[in-house]
Amino acid sequence: MSAIDLGLGILDHQVVDSDGHHCGKVDDLELEGVREGKPRVAAILTGPPAWRGRGRLGRLAATLTGGHVVRVAWEEVAEVSADVELRRTAGELGLARGEERARRIVERIPGASL
Amino acid sequence: MKGVFAIALGILAAIGGFVDIGDIVFNTAAGATFGYELLWAVVIGVGGIITYAEMCGRVAAVSERAVFDAVRERLGFQVGLVALVAAQLVNLLTIAAEVGGVALVLELLSGLPYRALLVLALLALVLVLWVMPFGWIERVFGYAGLALLVFAVAAIKLHPDWAQVARGFVPKAETDNLAVYGYYVVGLIGAAMVPYEVYFYSSGAVEERWRPKDLGINRANALVGYTLGGVLSFALMISAGALLLPQGISPEHLGSVALVAEVPLGQIGLILALVGMLFAISGAAIDSVFAGAYNLAQFFGWEWGKYRHNAGAPRFTIMWAVMLVLGFLVVMTGVDPILVTEISVVFSVVALPLTYLPILLVANDRAYMGRYGNGVVGNVFGVFYLAVLLLIALAAIPLLIASNMGQG
Repeated sequence: MSAIDLGLGILDHQVVDSDGHHCGKVDDLELEGVREGKPRVAAILTGPPAWRGRGRLGRLAATLTGGHVVRVAWEEVAEVSADVELRRTAGELGLARGEERARRIVERIPGASL
Repeated sequence: MKGVFAIALGILAAIGGFVDIGDIVFNTAAGATFGYELLWAVVIGVGGIITYAEMCGRVAAVSERAVFDAVRERLGFQVGLVALVAAQLVNLLTIAAEVGGVALVLELLSGLPYRALLVLALLALVLVLWVMPFGWIERVFGYAGLALLVFAVAAIKLHPDWAQVARGFVPKAETDNLAVYGYYVVGLIGAAMVPYEVYFYSSGAVEERWRPKDLGINRANALVGYTLGGVLSFALMISAGALLLPQGISPEHLGSVALVAEVPLGQIGLILALVGMLFAISGAAIDSVFAGAYNLAQFFGWEWGKYRHNAGAPRFTIMWAVMLVLGFLVVMTGVDPILVTEISVVFSVVALPLTYLPILLVANDRAYMGRYGNGVVGNVFGVFYLAVLLLIALAAIPLLIASNMGQG
């Protein structure tokens, strides 16, 4: 992979699944090999608890929000452009739960498919 | 030919969509208090919205990012979160003001009780948002809002002293009440640049899948649409200055705004003014409700957009409903919508720099923008307006207090 500024190039970017659906932001990154001096991104983390690594306000927001963090292994990332594009669907990667829960509510109302 | 037609339609929608309750309140109040002296402040405000709407539209077309995508990427989680909270509080106040404004106009049209009309306004807005496609909403409310052009006719019919009007375009402050004057300057610039307009504009550009080939439409929409929208603001201020100032009427009710069209043009003027206000303010209510939902969805990475059906972007759908109901509850307490309007405009001025700085940064980032990045002109205007906004953001709240909300 070519050189990418992790701070500006990946962190906080939109995550998009293989069907083009928005499924969260890159809330934090899991790095490995930092001690050996060869850091690489092992996974992207998405979901409110991942905000804990994002400063004081992040910790506060995570505490207020709850929810759970989903770890997406770097191997699942197909491409990093404006968005971080994944190889599989949000459902397969466990990234669709929030949207599904909301959809069950909205679908009860007539005209939900308008 | 089809392209020209599309541009014309977009411009018409922009004119009707520019004027909202904040513009109506501040322009007529400024006209009634200072005559034509503050026309220059509208010019500054309109220049600002053109600069940043064009920039947001370009960022959306080239990088496919809407405002709060850019905010979070460039400012990071913590500062982005502060910007989000500020934007949402301002949006909520704006929504409350617009929903209240819709009910006030309905009250003038029907004479029914205000609270019942608030409920009616809420139900009508929910129905429109739930059922109507994006393009329809934009056009129906934009075009019907053009009835506000009646104020341009009224301004001419009232035979203002045009030399005096022309002098109003030159900035100066010859007044013994500098605090009130300053308060109106802040209000007029703030009302022209209210943040929901750019959130909505940029998200709309992403919704309509603009690409670099659409940059011409973007420039035309921003430049011509908002300039003509600014003409409506001039018309409101000039006719208020010609009619209300000599009579010593201060427009504390939307009724006295409608009066400005009724006196020179009679019944038809009154009706056109009320219909124009109804659609322009309803359109602004819809835009600001969407803006709130867009911001949340973009910050948290949810599905968003009216082009995905209601259940296709369910959290977005729930959030616009929540924003609308919260705004409705604010005015349902009985607080005066005109007061909410003034507060929403002043606080939006405080939140504006946090919205516009990340846009300016992204518009200058070649990695995002390639050869479509900001040129010298874009940057000169962009930096100038950021400085103006910082200045009036610092002055806004002290002036609000010192001028007793423009009451002197």
